[in-house]
Amino acid sequence: MAVWAFALRNLQMASRNVFLLFELLFWPVVNVMSIGLLTRFLGLSGPEISFVLTGTIAFNTLQVCQLDVAYALLYDAWSKSMKHQFVAPIGVRHLTVGAWIVGMVRGVFVFLLQALLARWAFGFDPLGAGPLPLAAFLAGCFLTAWVIGVLVCALVMLVGLRAETAAWASINLVLLLAGIYYPISVLPGPVAGVAAAIPLTYFLDAYRAHYGFVPEFRAPLAVGFLLAAGYILVSHWALVAAVRRARRSGLLLKLSE
Amino acid sequence: MLAIDARDVVKTFHSGLLGRRRTAALRGVSLAVPRGAIFGVLGPNGAGKTTLLSIFATLLTPDGGTVTILGHDVVREAGLLRRRINLASGNASFLWNLRVAEILAFYGRLYGLHGATLRRRVEQLLEVGELGPHRRVPYNELSTGLKQRLSLAKSLVNDPELLFLDEPTLGLDPDISVRMRSHIASLRRERGMTIVLTTHYMREAEELCDEIAFIKAGLILARGTSGDLKRQIRIGDVIALRLDPPHVPWLSQAPGVLRCAVADGRVHCTVDEADKRLPELLRALHSEGVMVRDVQVREPDLEQVFVELAR
Repeated sequence: MAVWAFALRNLQMASRNVFLLFELLFWPVVNVMSIGLLTRFLGLSGPEISFVLTGTIAFNTLQVCQLDVAYALLYDAWSKSMKHQFVAPIGVRHLTVGAWIVGMVRGVFVFLLQALLARWAFGFDPLGAGPLPLAAFLAGCFLTAWVIGVLVCALVMLVGLRAETAAWASINLVLLLAGIYYPISVLPGPVAGVAAAIPLTYFLDAYRAHYGFVPEFRAPLAVGFLLAAGYILVSHWALVAAVRRARRSGLLLKLSE
Repeated sequence: MLAIDARDVVKTFHSGLLGRRRTAALRGVSLAVPRGAIFGVLGPNGAGKTTLLSIFATLLTPDGGTVTILGHDVVREAGLLRRRINLASGNASFLWNLRVAEILAFYGRLYGLHGATLRRRVEQLLEVGELGPHRRVPYNELSTGLKQRLSLAKSLVNDPELLFLDEPTLGLDPDISVRMRSHIASLRRERGMTIVLTTHYMREAEELCDEIAFIKAGLILARGTSGDLKRQIRIGDVIALRLDPPHVPWLSQAPGVLRCAVADGRVHCTVDEADKRLPELLRALHSEGVMVRDVQVREPDLEQVFVELAR
């Protein structure tokens, strides 16, 4: 019930927020159109366009979902109502999973919107890989979003609202490292090593294989899911530890004042 | 049977670079609150009232000491305890976009309520808080009084056995404060709820609380009923006399008289014990030929006790 409480709350908050339109419609459309037009200007071939647009769509989908997970705590911090939910018999899993469910719903909406736009404007069909690869790809995006969102929540519980910019900034590391616009083989050696530690890198690799690209990794889906599972455990533990620390330091109360 | 059994509770906050600056918020607080009581925690700003309440409500972990609430240790059994307690505060805040009924339903779900049970509980709470006409109003459009009524209604969502109220009438208009106090009293009367409240308002503490603890600089300086506190502080009773002739110079030197002041045509003598000193004074005045036209005896109010203790 508590998971549903947070899911419904995030949905209610989002439905009355004008920024929702920007998150759901404006930025995804602007990104797909601007990147798509850039590929046209650069005269990229069909497979290259699909490579870049797959990355763009994944990034926007992941960002929308990740923001929702981060909102799980940010809404309470912004409204100074943190103590009321932590005096209730809930665990942080209720909070993050509830917000993640809404994030996935919004993420699917953003994905479909961008897919239609990419097919209509640039002749690339992101749904063309078939239902199972698509499901695995979206699962990869959403699991990565969960990890980043929960780490942002942990950061908020560690340092307070000073960390709120991380909700928007952290995703850009993914943009840089996970092979959104370019294969990670173009990254310098040590940086490519960091990129190889990001689950999304593998899900993008696996999905692009359905559009004719040779995978950079062996069994990318298996590695991606394993990495995601590991990070989910670590990020959940980090949030639990951060909440425990906030109860000790008094930050939980400060976020309610 | 105790609702709260706190022993030697210590809490220090760390701030500044590397947490080097330390502020001792609680320095060994021990407190026992019986079940079914309304217990007041009084003290000046920064005394440690909210810190103590937050530890009891499992929002803050104590650095030392033990706290057992309703038989549960606040640290080791916090999860179990949270089902049985709740909290409302005078400066409560909720999600700005959510409507009154949605806020109550949200917190109801956190306590496992759903379906018809949840709907019934929300309706009950709207009625209890007289919030029915405002059920569809977003939180940020509510007046201060309505926000506080919502906060109190929210705190009843799980029908708690123990309720913590942090400054429940802070900033409210007097008429709304009176209704809020009457509502708090009815919670104990009708549901047998144990209530621990912090307040700055002496009248509120005097009117509502069976027992009061006065806390200052992280220590409990005095505790008891408001009468006990007045006696403990020994700030004396006041005997107001209308005399003829009005000025009696020797009165301030009389045995047991701490000080005298003239106001409103009366001599106000602060004495150690009115019961004992009043007959003595009357006899002495009579033997000196002073006519006593009117006598009033007044106990000090809790506000004077507060001022004395906070000094």
